[in-house]
Amino acid sequence: MMLNSKLLVGKTAVITGCLQGIGKKTMELFAHNGADLFACFQNEDNDISSYIKKLSNETGVNICPLYFDLTNISQIKDAVQSIQKSKKKIDILVNIAGITNDALFHMITIDQMKKVFEVNFFSQMLLTQYITKLMLRNKQGSVINISSISAIDGNPGQLSYSASKAALIAATKTLSSELAPSGIRVNALAPGVIQTNMTENLPADVVDKFMSKIHLRRLGLPEDVAGTILFLASDKSSYITGQIIRVDGGIG
Amino acid sequence: MTEKEKYDNAFVETFGNVNGNLPTLSYQSIDKWDSVGHMALIATLEDAFDIMMETDDIINFSSYKKGFEILAKYDVKF
Repeated sequence: MMLNSKLLVGKTAVITGCLQGIGKKTMELFAHNGADLFACFQNEDNDISSYIKKLSNETGVNICPLYFDLTNISQIKDAVQSIQKSKKKIDILVNIAGITNDALFHMITIDQMKKVFEVNFFSQMLLTQYITKLMLRNKQGSVINISSISAIDGNPGQLSYSASKAALIAATKTLSSELAPSGIRVNALAPGVIQTNMTENLPADVVDKFMSKIHLRRLGLPEDVAGTILFLASDKSSYITGQIIRVDGGIG
Repeated sequence: MTEKEKYDNAFVETFGNVNGNLPTLSYQSIDKWDSVGHMALIATLEDAFDIMMETDDIINFSSYKKGFEILAKYDVKF
């Protein structure tokens, strides 16, 4: 069931990683809550275009797809330029796109680690730099970064992913204090094990091990995370900034 | 309005009545041109000239004078 309280009417959001999982669910939830969207995808695709058209018709919001590769700086700039040229007031940025490269510490090269950092951290910082520059004009905004519980707790075989997500936590804390005087809130989520394409190939024994530690005794769903993103994006969280919220079903 | 007038207006719009001091104006030479004022000036210039400035150029935009040189990179012709 779609949480549909029209919490974002009159707002415009930029969301990265909209193709699937948490990003797709967030895009749908935001649209159903009345936000106009710049929905970011890595590659252009006919299925995406027709899906967006359908979602836009269903919800009555404007959804503008943007296609760019987060490893390509000039593509990022072009995308932001088109947002700027639209003259729309940007209220929300949700940094969801990310990659992982799981391997034990001695089995991963520094170049592979850099690639993960490039997508999960540096490119997102560049995009955040550009978008918050637009938010500064209106002295308000909400930025939501998607980190991970592995950034807080650590997880064997996920050094580069965890470290890049930990960098996002540090950035969230620093940016929240830097941008607060300009009315921009910055928060992060630390999702636990969420049923997405990133986790679908986990071996059954690994999933069982996770399940035994999750208090709610189920894996998370993309909508569990999207609901919390919606809250942080909306004015319902207007006094919350610099927080890292675990969305993990309780782990311990 | 000429490009030069647009440029001058951006400073006046951001910092108030600085018309007489424009040629000597530089970052932190007046109270209003602090880091917050700097980003406000950049936003006003970006809107006025319909450009998106690179981070390096934002950092290097150290004075009214220097601004001419930087905006020339974005095809603003004075």
